[in-house]
Amino acid sequence: MDKNMRILIVDDFSTMRRIIKNLLRDLGFTNTQEADDGLTALPMLQTGKFDFLVTDWNMPGMQGIDLLKAVRADEKLSSLPVLMVTAEQKKEQIVEAAQAGVNGYIVKPFTAQTLEEKLVKIFERLQG
Amino acid sequence: MSEENIINDDNIARAHDLLASLENGDEQGAREVIDDLAKIRENNLYQEVGKLTRELHDAISAFSMDDRIADIAEHDIPDARQRLNYVITRTEDAADRTLTAVEKSIPLCEDMERRAGSVLNDWKSFTQREMDVEGFRKMSSEMDGFLSDQSGGFVELKSHLNNILMAQDFQDLTGQIIKRVINLVAEVEGNLVNLIKLAGLPDHVEPHKREKVKLEGPAVPGVDSGDTVSGQDEVDDLLSSLGF
Repeated sequence: MDKNMRILIVDDFSTMRRIIKNLLRDLGFTNTQEADDGLTALPMLQTGKFDFLVTDWNMPGMQGIDLLKAVRADEKLSSLPVLMVTAEQKKEQIVEAAQAGVNGYIVKPFTAQTLEEKLVKIFERLQG
Repeated sequence: MSEENIINDDNIARAHDLLASLENGDEQGAREVIDDLAKIRENNLYQEVGKLTRELHDAISAFSMDDRIADIAEHDIPDARQRLNYVITRTEDAADRTLTAVEKSIPLCEDMERRAGSVLNDWKSFTQREMDVEGFRKMSSEMDGFLSDQSGGFVELKSHLNNILMAQDFQDLTGQIIKRVINLVAEVEGNLVNLIKLAGLPDHVEPHKREKVKLEGPAVPGVDSGDTVSGQDEVDDLLSSLGF
């Protein structure tokens, strides 16, 4: 796992962005940027050469699921690994995210350990 | 008020009778005709009051049968109460975790501060050549212990700071829950406004529009069940059953 990879954190709550950012820094990932919803995130992704996307689901403007679908539909972004970190816990939503091509799904509240596990798992699978 | 046409043969006859009685000085006859006319008016009034009462009754029945209102009373209000209780639990927990971490960090800081001050004092007297060999030995040993304890102390301090950081995640969840309750309160307010309109305008009751909420927001233990997962383990199970 490249610790210098560029990570975009998308959540409408700045508290949650800060938590994720600090947790990632604690895991050695310091190259992070933030966006507060899908509408802000998408242009950043299209121009910013990000290696990894961490996104919430329920946000004003563009929802996380729509951001995920937009990423998968974009030729240049389609293989970008996406981790969803959300309070949405309905089974049909998790299934919807899986079908849309999410690489990992974490429900809030979550622990530092869960985030690390999912990151490791996602990159193991991508390399394997 | 709709009244029947008062120009009819009966009333014309009554008017003739009244005029004849008055001209003939027949007081008794005149009073009878006036009483008859008054009764006709009274009957109209009673009918009108009856009609209004029936309309009001129908309108109130239609209003209370609106599904959404029953739903709010039976489900949404108790649900909101539970969600708000969850907000209290989460915020209490966050405050508790933060305070615990701070209470553990402060003695660590105080200890390091005290020992750093002591080593600094010794170091000053050493640089000013005021220290004998015995004093130097004492200082070296103290410095050694201080520096090795310090690195462990900072590791511990950092873990307390991380706990404080993680305790702030309540704000995201409680914010979402409170927003939902605010929306519910707004909906109840809308219905009360409708009720007030109804009291004034019984013919203009509009059925309430029911809005679909697609996203459920944070699951609350004891409130959500069925289609909802209860934690990360269940998410992982569900995803692995889908081939993840």
